[in-house]
Amino acid sequence: MEKKTKETKPVVSIRHAKKYFLAGRHLFRPSDYVKAVDDVSFDIMPGETVGLVGESGCGKSTLARTVIRIYEPSAGGIFYHGADISHLSNARLRPFRTKMQMIFQDPYASLNPRYTVGEIIGEPMQIAHMGGKDEREGRVQKLLQQVGLKPDHISRYPHEFSGGQRQRIGIARTLALDPDFIICDEPISALDVSIQAQIINLLEKIQDENGLSYLFIAHDLTMVRHISHKIGVMYLGHLLEFGDADEVYENPLHPYTRALISAAPVPDPEQARTRHRIKLTGEVPSPIHAPAGCPFCTRCPECRPECLLAPPVMANQNGHKVACYKYV
Amino acid sequence: MLQKSEFFNPIDKSEQDSEFIAMEPRSFWHDVWDRFRSNRRALIGLIVLLFIVLLAVLGPLFSPYPYDGMGTEVNCGPGAAHWFGTDALGRDLFTRVLYGIRISLFVGFVSTLINCAIGVLYGGVAGYVGGRVDAVMMRFVDVLYAVPSLLYIILLMMMFGSNVGSIMVGMCISGWVGIARLMRTQVISLKGREYVLAAYTEGAGPARILFKHMFSNAMSPILVQATLAIPQAIFQEAFLSFIGMGISAPQASLGTLAQDARMYMAIYPHQMVCPIAMICIIIFALNFISEGLSEALDPTNSR
Ligand SMILES: Nc1ncnc2c1ncn2[C@@H]1O[C@H](COP(=O)(O)OP(=O)(O)O)[C@@H](O)[C@H]1O
Ligand code: SF4
Ligand SMILES: [Mg+2]
Repeated sequence: MEKKTKETKPVVSIRHAKKYFLAGRHLFRPSDYVKAVDDVSFDIMPGETVGLVGESGCGKSTLARTVIRIYEPSAGGIFYHGADISHLSNARLRPFRTKMQMIFQDPYASLNPRYTVGEIIGEPMQIAHMGGKDEREGRVQKLLQQVGLKPDHISRYPHEFSGGQRQRIGIARTLALDPDFIICDEPISALDVSIQAQIINLLEKIQDENGLSYLFIAHDLTMVRHISHKIGVMYLGHLLEFGDADEVYENPLHPYTRALISAAPVPDPEQARTRHRIKLTGEVPSPIHAPAGCPFCTRCPECRPECLLAPPVMANQNGHKVACYKYV
Repeated sequence: MLQKSEFFNPIDKSEQDSEFIAMEPRSFWHDVWDRFRSNRRALIGLIVLLFIVLLAVLGPLFSPYPYDGMGTEVNCGPGAAHWFGTDALGRDLFTRVLYGIRISLFVGFVSTLINCAIGVLYGGVAGYVGGRVDAVMMRFVDVLYAVPSLLYIILLMMMFGSNVGSIMVGMCISGWVGIARLMRTQVISLKGREYVLAAYTEGAGPARILFKHMFSNAMSPILVQATLAIPQAIFQEAFLSFIGMGISAPQASLGTLAQDARMYMAIYPHQMVCPIAMICIIIFALNFISEGLSEALDPTNSR
């Protein structure tokens, strides 16, 4: 491989992170938990985009919210530049808040409808006591330009903008404090197809300009490959596969990843007709009663007896990691 | 062959954002006011209420009669000298009605304001903190609510005398419970909103999230409930005064005036009609405003 392997420290490290939600208490048996994120580990390097894919409900948003400490992890660690932020109190998280930001999925829900664009984008600076009122206003106008809006949009209200424009406002807000790590939780899936590419291009432009790292969440593998350096595949709260984007896409190891890739639409109709599609049968099990063994065992076409007993450990094949008994 | 450009011309760069040029920025409250204004009943209610407030505030300054000044002309009918006539002690009824409006409106608005403040704070904290704190706080609310507010008012009056203060405190002991419950449910439903999470990831503290982001969006139903609570409070005060447990002489609320006139109802009906009509007008006006406001705040929910 001729990839640049810069020996730098990760911006964010996720170590055996778990997030369980209490789903029900019982008198005579243990409580039920939704195991939304179950033992996930990976690193995000400076200037790098890690794409995270998986079906809806597999725990991507929960992982994102745990990393940015909206949730406190049930177990495991979240490290920002080596500092353990897993269990910090709100007050002690504040210095980190300026450096890690998040772009939300729904541009109609992520902007408070009662405030102007200027107030929304300026709020992080206000909270961090950055500059005076005029200074903040100037910066908001600059940010608006950076995301492709006009400085005089500053006094407008969110409902006066289209979905794509709102997402730009959301992006400008995350940039206000000059972070080095941004989580994008399905930032384009609520948008019109014609707008999606614009937002992706904007995110890439900003990454170049500001030297950002992204954790980019999507349920569409094709799009993630386009912008990610690394790809992680999640299923039922577990990370099944992680590696360089092209490597994962061209040489998928995990049966689930293979199924995902074979199900993705291809632009060439000839290729679409002839290629081999792996059909997934059955339903995703409930995250409350997840299988005891491999999380994918109920639907895996290559399931073996040992798969049902205990979850497979992550095997590392030259940086391409996979959790499957086929590769132990 | 047709040239492509005959049908399709690239639009001018300046036209691309033409949608933005014409309009002024419009805030939510701007829109609410426009919708409210276009509702005739609500607008009339508002104008009538403003007129009455103005009358109650400024009227007594221009009235030649003090509210407790007795005269020799007893029980006279409405006329040029005494617009609403005089009562059994020769006091000018119009002046007394003006003072009565003052007290009624004061009781209605101030008690509602206090109830809203307590309710928003209490319900907001309960909903925001959640868990066991919330459970305990809401049980306390249930207990308060189980006792009728009349009981509190009577108790306070026995202890501190029949005055505006006792009535108001009595109304505020449990009057905030409805607002607190409303605020709590609003806060709980707003907790997972993405703009609230965004504020959280920006490092916003609980006070900022609760009173800036959540309150600004929870305000509509609270405002509607508050505008309904004002006439209720006015009515309750009038009722208490009418059954003789309200404000004592020589001060008079509209209810007291009606109570005083009860004995002469058959002979001098105007003494009773004037204060009661005033109560009706105020309550109608407030109800129209409340109705208009609730439609203006949520156009999809027209009653
Ligand atoms: N606050 C919560 N409380 C309880 N369960 C939750 C909560 N948030 C998410 N879940 C559950 O966790 C699982 C993962 O959800 P989520 O992270 O939103 O998935 P994704 O973003 O991949 O679609 C789902 O089963 C969901 O129902
Ligand atoms: S561990 Fe077994 S069940 Fe799981 S994906 Fe691999 S082969 Fe399939
Ligand atoms: Mg999600």
